[in-house]
Amino acid sequence: MALVLNGLSIGMLLFLLAAGLTLVFGLLGVVNFAHGSLYMLGAYAAFEVVRWTDSFWLALVIAPLLVGLAGAVMERFALRPLYARDHSYQLLLTFGCILVIEEFTRMVWGVDFKAVSPPALLAGTTEVAGSVVTDYRLFIIVFGAIVSGLLFYVIEKTRVGVVVRAASQNSAMVSCLGIDVGKVRTSVFVVGAMLAALSGVVSAPLLPLKLGMSFSIIIDCFIVVVLGGLGSIRGAIFGALVIGMSRALGQVYAADLMLLLTYALLIGTLIVRPEGLFSVRRRSA
Amino acid sequence: MKRLLLLALLLAAVPFAMKNQGVLYFMTLIMVLGVFAVGYDIVFGMAGLLSFGHAAFFGIGSYVFAFLVLKSPAWGLPAIGIAGVAGAIVAVAVAAIALRLAGIYFSLMTLAIAELLFYAASSPLRGLTGGEEGLVGVPRPAFAGIDFYNEGYFYLLVLCFFVAGLAASRVLRASPLGQAMRGVKVNEIRADQLGFNVRRIKLAAFGISGFYSGVAGALLGALMQFVNPQGLHWSTSGDIVIMTLLGGAGTLFGPVIGVVAFEVLKEILSARTVHFYGIVGIIFILTTLFLPTGIHGAFESVAARWKARRAARPATPSTRSLEAGAAK
Amino acid sequence: MQPKTVISGIALAAAMFAANAQEAKEAFIVGGVVPLSGPYASLGTAMRKGVDLAIEEKGQVLSKPVRVLWEDTETKPQVSVQKANKLIASGASMLFGDGASIQTMAIMPVAAQRKVPLIVTGSAADAITGANRNAFTFRTSSQIHAETQLATEFVKKRKMKAIYIVAVDQQQGRAAADTMKANMDKAGVKILGVDFTPIGNQDYSLVIDKVAKSGADGVLVVTAGADSSTFLKQAGQLKLGSKVKIFGVGFDDNDAMAVGKDIAGVNSVARYHFSYDTPANRKFVEAYRKKYNEYPDAMAGNAYDGMKWFLEVVDKTGSWNSEAWVKAFENSAPAASVFGPRQMRACDHQAVGVGLWTEGVQNSAPLPAYSFKVTDTFQPTGLYPECPKS
Repeated sequence: MALVLNGLSIGMLLFLLAAGLTLVFGLLGVVNFAHGSLYMLGAYAAFEVVRWTDSFWLALVIAPLLVGLAGAVMERFALRPLYARDHSYQLLLTFGCILVIEEFTRMVWGVDFKAVSPPALLAGTTEVAGSVVTDYRLFIIVFGAIVSGLLFYVIEKTRVGVVVRAASQNSAMVSCLGIDVGKVRTSVFVVGAMLAALSGVVSAPLLPLKLGMSFSIIIDCFIVVVLGGLGSIRGAIFGALVIGMSRALGQVYAADLMLLLTYALLIGTLIVRPEGLFSVRRRSA
Repeated sequence: MKRLLLLALLLAAVPFAMKNQGVLYFMTLIMVLGVFAVGYDIVFGMAGLLSFGHAAFFGIGSYVFAFLVLKSPAWGLPAIGIAGVAGAIVAVAVAAIALRLAGIYFSLMTLAIAELLFYAASSPLRGLTGGEEGLVGVPRPAFAGIDFYNEGYFYLLVLCFFVAGLAASRVLRASPLGQAMRGVKVNEIRADQLGFNVRRIKLAAFGISGFYSGVAGALLGALMQFVNPQGLHWSTSGDIVIMTLLGGAGTLFGPVIGVVAFEVLKEILSARTVHFYGIVGIIFILTTLFLPTGIHGAFESVAARWKARRAARPATPSTRSLEAGAAK
Repeated sequence: MQPKTVISGIALAAAMFAANAQEAKEAFIVGGVVPLSGPYASLGTAMRKGVDLAIEEKGQVLSKPVRVLWEDTETKPQVSVQKANKLIASGASMLFGDGASIQTMAIMPVAAQRKVPLIVTGSAADAITGANRNAFTFRTSSQIHAETQLATEFVKKRKMKAIYIVAVDQQQGRAAADTMKANMDKAGVKILGVDFTPIGNQDYSLVIDKVAKSGADGVLVVTAGADSSTFLKQAGQLKLGSKVKIFGVGFDDNDAMAVGKDIAGVNSVARYHFSYDTPANRKFVEAYRKKYNEYPDAMAGNAYDGMKWFLEVVDKTGSWNSEAWVKAFENSAPAASVFGPRQMRACDHQAVGVGLWTEGVQNSAPLPAYSFKVTDTFQPTGLYPECPKS
């Protein structure tokens, strides 16, 4: 049982991160390699907010807003000129962003590890089927489920979601209908950034905050997104749960084997069904 | 070709003019990465395929070279060639799998395979590859009694490969195969309809590019006398993509300029500040936004504008008479 | 056009190097190769602080001013090799570094080939003074073997009957686990389980659960860098410390600050600690605090001590011959080490001295909020591996 709960919590953390990435790709066609850096910024922003206000809950709200702002700046000035161009330029640009954000973090917070504690309400533990699980992990599962539900609802069932999906398929038509496509794009990117930051905030009480935490998480994030399908929230949930459970299983059983299996799964999915299991975009050519 | 010859001669003169082993080492490093970048551009700039997995071919080249040369340094020179062949074989194999996909999925597949190989070299195969610690004490090639531990001589050896690589790339660009590759990049469907075997052209591009990568990997292993899984890491793939883009993809010298710019920039900056990577990042961002065709492209357009301005200058009566007067 | 760019770029680089090279004759140059960026940036930064203080205090060696040229090895062995070569070519008379053991092992052959002494104070892999040792490499900090011995002594002292081992899935983790298994067998202590976790692991909760359920008296943790902090943090949240004694071979004050109050009661080997009470250490800590406004950590302390020791030795030889320095350093003892009495072994170039054992505590100002504190010292006998026969 502890295995399942831990797998779920790891999965939820991955989902929060992957959701942002997959949204941005699915709706904007941009592969944001700097996504992990936004996650890191979220964690450090949470540290700062907690330092000033001593409240984790405030950090949960404020940190994503701050990072969302950074995301808006990034989209407006750096990414927007590149939409029409080849994917490879986005790579170079977002890689540049990774380096800049990393140095910025170093300049402000230094090289030492930083710590964020879980809020007092969730600092305890619960016994579940003979194993001890922290309340905080249970919170992650619940929180992740709520966020995924919300995201799903907004994108699939609301008018805002319709506009966003339409803009991703035919932006010219949407703009003819009088909708400011530029604003839509920026908003999607900002939401993606906020999701990344949210993942950072929620992860912060579990890990030491350090430079380079953007790199530790990015490969897993990509695996999740590819498994689930670039652009699909449903797919991201699925992919995140699969990877989360495999990581949990790996802790208990053969870790080496688990990693190999993950890669095999990734390559297998790409060969058999490259658009992922729930993809939104058709693969070109 | 003339420019290439001139460059080759100038570079060959360097070890005679300067003896500083550190500088020679650095320049050799640039040439090795230059070979890698020129090879990468065949796939990226010419055939238009964004591969994130070239580190695999590079890293495998390093290991193959190391295995052979650790048995006997006399294997040195042929080992470089064999490393190239190994790189080519792996490249074709990877391409054969990855080319079933298109666009970003192709790129992700190349990344996934390279990551798998990186992981394999670091962990399960650590008995063979020395794991993260890698293989130390890789000897320099030994032949004709030349002491390749002298950075000057090694530099000249690498220079031969560098020049050969550039020359071969030049020939490829002008050849029918090269033209076909560019045709595939510009419009794959039309190329296919014109009767070109697009898949085979792409595989050929990978094969040639893989050979370059393998050779570069071997040369790096010889230069550092050390081989480890870092050569297979995605950041190595990322670095080469960036250097090629920075310098100017699709041109002969562009990738080399990118390597020079990146490495020299890092050298100069890292001595000044710990935050040098941030400055490098800013330069990437600015280059992408304002220099879409890379540094090479920027130079070309400046040169073109300058030439155009000269040609457009009208021959006024005063200048004509001056010219006439001067000719007398 | 294009060749000109290439050439000007190369010429520029050449100028930079040439400029560096000229200064070599006028001073004693130390080539510092440490990670100042990448995962081990905090190590390199601390090492630099320690060395800079030592250099400042020494001032002159062989009647020439001492200077350090620092190069960032970015926690990548390939860059280490490149920078080591660069520094030697720029006139460095000795090398100091590197951070991660794999980096140090990559540059050891370079030092040996160019006959430049390499002083290691930041890497603990046994092979550096074991299988891979060479004539020009010396280590003044501890090694994994000794650290595992200290952990063994702790287990015996606490009369533990059964322990669990959690180690990083890397050469060092596996080596430590193997040594520990052998030691525990000899001491009659049961090993209830061994778990290897990948480097950079983000989640230890299930491993912690296994440890808690195993009934072990103690758990030995052999992890590196941020993984230690991650483990301790998550173990603290799961209240593992109340059931099982947590002890490690490499926990330090950085971990203490990253973990907070749950560090109380966690034990560890310390490669150096500011709370170790010797006159030399008190003096060093005071000087360090004055210069940097913080307490020195293990990396800074070892860097300072090792550098000071070596420079003393070089100065006493009165010669610029690196082979003379090497000979003099073997069997030497520092005049006043922060560790107290120490000795450099000629057989493997490993320095031996007391082993420090610490426990996590909460402090009040001016000490950092959370840190470790020395609780036991062990004499060097039996800590270090036997001198190799060859």
